[in-house]
This record gives sequence, structure tokens and C-alpha cells, in this order.
Amino acid sequence: MTTHSAAASEATEPTTPLAIAIRLPLDRFTLDVDFTTSHRVTGLFGPSGSGKTSVLESIAGLRRATTGRIALGDETWLADAPRRFVRPEHRHIGYVPQDGLLFPHLDVRANLLAGARRARRDGHPLDTTFASVVELLELGPLLARAVTTLSGGERQRVALGRALCSGPRLLLLDEPLAALDIPLRRRVLPFLRRVRDEFRIPMLLVSHDPVEVQALCDDLIVLRQGTIVARGEPSEVLTDPDVFPLAERGGYENVVPCTLVRTDSETSVVRVGTGDDSLSVITPRAAGPEGSNKLLGIPAREVILATTEPEGLSAQNILPSRVVSIRTVGSLRLVRAHLADGVPPLAVEVTEHARDTLHLEPGCVVYLILKTAGCVLYDPEARPDDD
Amino acid sequence: MSDATLSALKMSVFVASIATVVVWIPGTLIAYVLARREFFGKRVVSTLLLLPMVLPPTAVGYLLLRMLATDGPLGPRTLGFDPGILLTWKAAVLASAVMATPLVVRTARVTFEGIDPRLESMARTLGHGRLRTFVGTTLPLASRGLLAAAILGFTRAIGEFGATVTIAGNIPGRTQTLASAIYSAQETGDQREAYFLLCVALVVGFVAIFASEYLARNPERTRTR
Repeated sequence: MTTHSAAASEATEPTTPLAIAIRLPLDRFTLDVDFTTSHRVTGLFGPSGSGKTSVLESIAGLRRATTGRIALGDETWLADAPRRFVRPEHRHIGYVPQDGLLFPHLDVRANLLAGARRARRDGHPLDTTFASVVELLELGPLLARAVTTLSGGERQRVALGRALCSGPRLLLLDEPLAALDIPLRRRVLPFLRRVRDEFRIPMLLVSHDPVEVQALCDDLIVLRQGTIVARGEPSEVLTDPDVFPLAERGGYENVVPCTLVRTDSETSVVRVGTGDDSLSVITPRAAGPEGSNKLLGIPAREVILATTEPEGLSAQNILPSRVVSIRTVGSLRLVRAHLADGVPPLAVEVTEHARDTLHLEPGCVVYLILKTAGCVLYDPEARPDDD
Repeated sequence: MSDATLSALKMSVFVASIATVVVWIPGTLIAYVLARREFFGKRVVSTLLLLPMVLPPTAVGYLLLRMLATDGPLGPRTLGFDPGILLTWKAAVLASAVMATPLVVRTARVTFEGIDPRLESMARTLGHGRLRTFVGTTLPLASRGLLAAAILGFTRAIGEFGATVTIAGNIPGRTQTLASAIYSAQETGDQREAYFLLCVALVVGFVAIFASEYLARNPERTRTR
């Protein structure tokens, strides 16, 4: 096992390019999707019924009606004229659906090894992979268990491990954490990040969860009614006026990489940004050694804006900042403020009235007021006490 | 137990066993196709396969008799040789098999329909070809239901009377089964014999239905979303 930090530094290294140009008639519309990606993790975002799962199933070869072209590197899986359709068993894909779809008649070990024959036939170093999958996803204690006795988080880890052990060249993750509740999701998220950092396999991730998308994806594609409506860097795309309202449940949450500076009895201090303008944020207490990497979650509606530096506030964080842009989302105004170099702008929800009263314009200096309890710290790496 | 009774019981078990195997293997494959594929005439095929369930057994027997008769479509004159089925144990097997078909196919089909097809798709993405997916994933998941189908088929076969008596006759020691022996005992007024045969039939039937009910409550039934 290589160290996580070494792998993390290669975070943006390109992988085998995936080229998709497909059409598939569905009940209410025709899926018509055309994109190429060589990012490690490409996110697919969009309202339910927008065709995300159909895209994954087409790539996996489970939709015979799909036409067009699908190619990973120099392997063509689907082509028209002359028609070429590579069967799903020959596509070398690791597929992880929302509900795991573990084989109920097999135990965990047999599930993990369900794709072993193909992996061996391809000369994949299965024994090494199996050992690292078990270690990475912390599956050792589960190996002899019947899958019907597993918890939700365990099931998804086994499903992920099974996909990895089949020697895939592409991972398709269809809302792999959606069936889990939010706290559990946050605990399984680091496992996905480990997989991203340890295995050099391009991943396509369907997700509705802004935190998941920002924590994992380098590139985000938004689908609506079967077509691509937006694409780009995740925090940029997610604050797009058309995409912003699609964030599930609690609304949009900014996710910012940070470093743990110190931990007191009830709070922690993290540092955001690495340049001269880096700043400290006081957050709820988090475990971990000084200097460890964290992700700071700041919900867009938890932040208060002030145009002058306020005094006598109970809120612990008053961060000086500059307005980058203001976007209109329905009746809301989304103010994007520069926090620190090397960190995506922070999106803050304000009303139209607040924007007018404060005369907010791009370039304005503002103070972002943030309660300690309004922030969340996520672990980018798994802690051993996971579910 | 008289020799005749014993030979009738043996004949019943023998005929029903062979009939079960004969129906169960193709019946399972047909049931899988009916559960998973769409094709022209599917409803007609599934209706025809269920027809023996609602027809009077004697009608089925008569139909088979006409087909196997000397000048019938499966008779010696058409085939060019004598398959030698009528009035032998083979005729009893054929009659039982036809009568057992609806139960076997229907139970197997419901079993297959209860298996999430996405599990089969999952096996495909893990590198399993179609045959290996069927053998390695579908069949193990269906095993209890398919066993229940076999037991029900066996039960139906062992209880068969009308069609069997029409084409195999009721020849003690050669084609007489439990069902036809009860009929003969009752006809000849041999009440002790009839009661005894009745008890045997009750035990066989009870055990078979009990087992299939147990198997039908599959604790490992695949979860569908």
C-alpha cells in the first residue's frame, strides 16, 4: 500500500479517456449524451429521471437499444456502421448500484470474488488486489458473514470491493451512498476517496449530494431530460443558477479543503488555503492529528454577510472576503466570495432585498460570519471505527 | 400388504419419478424463457402449457390416445415404427408428465419472476457469460422454488388417474398405479385394501405439499427495490 498523501498529490493526473456519444429512446424523452473525459472522477448530476442511470447502463452494456459510440482508451465497446456491441461480460466494468446488489446466496468473500475468474484470465494480480481491497475497505472482519446480515454501509463497501476485484478498467458508481443516511454516508465517503487515490481506475459517479460530488469529483456533468445542460469544475457548476436548486435535502453546501491546526476541548481550528491569504476557521471539535487533511463543509444558507467588520458577535468566525460574482437563483441571490487562494469561491445565499440594501456588487469587500456549529468537518480518510 | 398393492405403490413412485424428471428439466428452461423474454405468441404458449390444469384428465388422455393411435400424428403408421407406448408404463409416464406440466412450469416461472433481473445483469458486468450467469446466479437463487416445483410435479404425477387410465389402462402388475388400484379396490368392494391405499396416498400427498409450502417461504428471497 502506498501512502495516501503520495497518491493524493497525483489527484489530477489524467486517466484513460472515456468517450461517449450515445442515443437511447426512453419513455419520456430520448437520451442524447456526448462527452469525453479523462478525469479520475467524473460526476453525473441531475434530477431523478434525467437519464443518469441509463447512461451508466449503456456504458455497462446492459441496454441493447443504445446506439452511437462508447470507447475507453483504444477499446471500442459500442459503434454503429459497422455495428459493434461488446457484451457486458467483456467490457471490464466495475458497477456499483445504489442498493449494492450483492448476491444473497453467497457470503462476503464469495461476493468479493464473484468477478475473480475474469480478473485472473486478464492476468490481473488478483491476490494483491484482493488483499488491498480487504485492507482499504476494512472488510477483513466481514469475510465469512452472510450478506443478509450486513448493515447498509457494509453492503456498499462489499459492493465496491466486488467491483474492484473483478479487474475493472472503469468504475461506474450509481449513487453508491444514496441508500445510506447522512452520517453514515459521511463515514463511507472516505472509502471512496481511498479507492480514487489507490486504484488508477477512471470513475463515473452518479450523485445528488453536493458534498459527495465536491469531495470526489474533478469534473461534473449535469443532465436534464437526457441531455447535458452544464459541465465543469464541481463547485462552479453546482452554484450555476440552473443547477443550484437540484441539490438534495439541506440545500447546497460548500466543501473546502483545509488542514487541522489544533484541537481544543470543544472546538478545532483549521486553516483554509496555503498562500499568504490563508485563514483560520473555528469548527466543532474533530478527531485527528495536527496537520491532517480535512474537508470543511459550510452550508450556503448558514453564512451571514456584513459590509463592515462587526463587533460583539457570538459567532466565532468573521472572515474578510471579496465578492467574486452574484448569481440569481429564483428569488435568491447567490453571492460567491473569494476566501483564500487555491480554494473555490464560497457560495452564500442572500435575499434579493439584502443584496439591494447592502449594495452588494462584484469586487465589494464583505465579512463572512460563520457560527462554529454551522460548519461541519469531514474526514477525507476513514477512521477505523466506521460503522 | 398384498403383492398387487405393493406393485401398485412401486409403479406409482416409479412413474411419478420419471415423469417429474421428464417435465422438470425442460419445464424449468421454458419457465425461464417465459419469465425473462418477450416473444411473439408468448401468451398462447403459456396458455397451452397451463391447459392440462383445467381440462378433464380423461380429455387429455383421449387426446393423447388419438395422437398415439395407429393412424394418429404420433402413431406407428405416421412415424414408420411402433414406439410401443400405449398400455405400457411409458404411457403412464406420458400421461402423468402432461398433467404435471402446468404446476411445474407455473411454479418455476413465478420463482424466476421473483428474482431481481438486475442481479443477473450484475453477474454479467462481473464477467460471467449468459450460460454461467444462469447456472451460477439464477439457478442457485431459484433453487428452493425449483425444488418446490419438482415436488408439486411429483405430487400431481402420483395422483394422476384419468389420463393414465385412458392410455395406460389399469393392468395389475404392469400399469396399475396407486390411483387406479384405489379405483379397482373400491369397484370390487375390497374396503380394507381401499382404506390402506387411501392412507398411503394421504401420507405421500401431505409430505409433498408440506415440503413445497416450506420451500416456498424462501428466507433468502432476493430483495427487489
